[in-house]
Amino acid sequence: MSVSPPAAPLLEFRDLVVRYGSITALQGINIAVHTGELVALLGSNGAGKSTTLRAASRLLPLAQGSIRWHGGDLGRVSTERTVKLGLSHCPEGRRVLGRQSVKDNLELGAWLRKDRAGIKADIDRCYGLFPRLAERRNQLAGSLSGGEQQMLAIARSLMARPTLLMLDEPSLGLAPKLVAEVMTTLRQLNQDGLTILLVEQNANAALAIAHRAYVLEAGRISLEGSAQDLRSNDKLRASYLGA
Amino acid sequence: MDTTLLQQMLLGALLGISVYLPLRCGQLSLATPGFYAIGGTVAALLSTRIPALGGDGVSYPISSVLLEMALAAMVTGILALGIGKVVLRLRGIYLAISTIALVEILRVVSLNLSFTGGAIGIFGIPQPFASPEGYVGFTSLLLAVVCWLCDRLERTRPGLAMAAIREDELAAASQGINTANTKLLAFVLSALVAGVTGVIAAHFLNSWNARMGNFDASITTLAFVVFGGTRTWLGPVIGGLVLTALPELLRPVGDLRLIVYGLVILMGPVLFPQGVITPERLSRWSRMLRQRLRLEAPTP
Repeated sequence: MSVSPPAAPLLEFRDLVVRYGSITALQGINIAVHTGELVALLGSNGAGKSTTLRAASRLLPLAQGSIRWHGGDLGRVSTERTVKLGLSHCPEGRRVLGRQSVKDNLELGAWLRKDRAGIKADIDRCYGLFPRLAERRNQLAGSLSGGEQQMLAIARSLMARPTLLMLDEPSLGLAPKLVAEVMTTLRQLNQDGLTILLVEQNANAALAIAHRAYVLEAGRISLEGSAQDLRSNDKLRASYLGA
Repeated sequence: MDTTLLQQMLLGALLGISVYLPLRCGQLSLATPGFYAIGGTVAALLSTRIPALGGDGVSYPISSVLLEMALAAMVTGILALGIGKVVLRLRGIYLAISTIALVEILRVVSLNLSFTGGAIGIFGIPQPFASPEGYVGFTSLLLAVVCWLCDRLERTRPGLAMAAIREDELAAASQGINTANTKLLAFVLSALVAGVTGVIAAHFLNSWNARMGNFDASITTLAFVVFGGTRTWLGPVIGGLVLTALPELLRPVGDLRLIVYGLVILMGPVLFPQGVITPERLSRWSRMLRQRLRLEAPTP
């Protein structure tokens, strides 16, 4: 990767086009996430939010445009490599390994790391962050409640020691109280120095903690701006905030 | 029990493991009989065509059998590597269909080549062991080694990666597991086990032909795994042993035998959805056994 000017965003999507066969899911989107930011990507079902994250973690081929990490091209990089570079993807729907214990799931998150002592310390750090996981460390992940599984999924992504964490709808299927809890945790992680790209349908919850946000509509960015501006944006209020 | 049947059961157990290895990784491959047929063909050709290996029509050195096994492993391994790279891009039922096609292609090719004996096959494959007992001993040893390796595999990184892929391929991939290579490894290991098993089978059966690897064999070997379970290596071993023995043991019931056999295969998944052998059931059995032993032990 080339030496980049200091102003280069940590993660940048440039005119990105992604297709599933003949269907174009992303029609040339531009998104920039700078170090230290918490950026939200909002939009309804099928807008292309998950596709954006999957493209960034190189689970999908890019049709046109590029994805840049510290200014370097991610186009020919494998998923393994993105994880090594510090880009962690927490996929939609939690996807914890139900027949393995909480601890085994956390260890899976540290798959590419070799520092045993560091891994152990980070597992303890995750237990500190999510005490309920500590209580259930030897339980099968499939026996956890939805909220606990979401916490496990986030903790598992943290085990890779990412510089940037991409979360796909962490509020999905959670009770409002748990949504608030998850969002508070994300804000805490961000304040501790983790850059976050948060995909959400729950615009209210996401805008409450984000610095900036983008709105995806049918594969295009239709709105972008600071979270504060977007919260008072009439168009967004009408379509997502239910006001 | 009849030693010949015991030998067939052991071969069944080995084929069960071959089907189980890709399934551990969530891949339903039915290619096992194809690689089994190749292994047998390698053994049949070498032992009948190359006098230097020591086949004199009566006896055959075991060292030559080992050499055949090494060569069969190489041939099936390389073939699996090439084919796996392509077919493993398919998932679920599509992978199953394409591996069935592979087995059929191999069968038809072997049927039409003159050096594999065409429809007649190859006869008079020399015998390394004078009696079935010798085969049983040798095959038991091989099965033990394969089981030990599977047990080791389940505790190592590739084994853990396979388990993660089987549970959730996307989750595994997003944590940085190289899913393509892991699936390929499982597919190649499966081919190696099938190929090596074919070598022993060819000597044991004395003749080898294109019908050894066909669609029926794909389904039968799959039944071993469905019945025994896919969560530990012991499942397909038990499945292979039991389901190979069953048709023979059921001979006394006459014409009903295939019906009863079918019922067992059908009831297996109904009564034991994850197969007869699961890790949970194993640990429960071992707990019960330990308790029983403790009760029987005289108190000092």
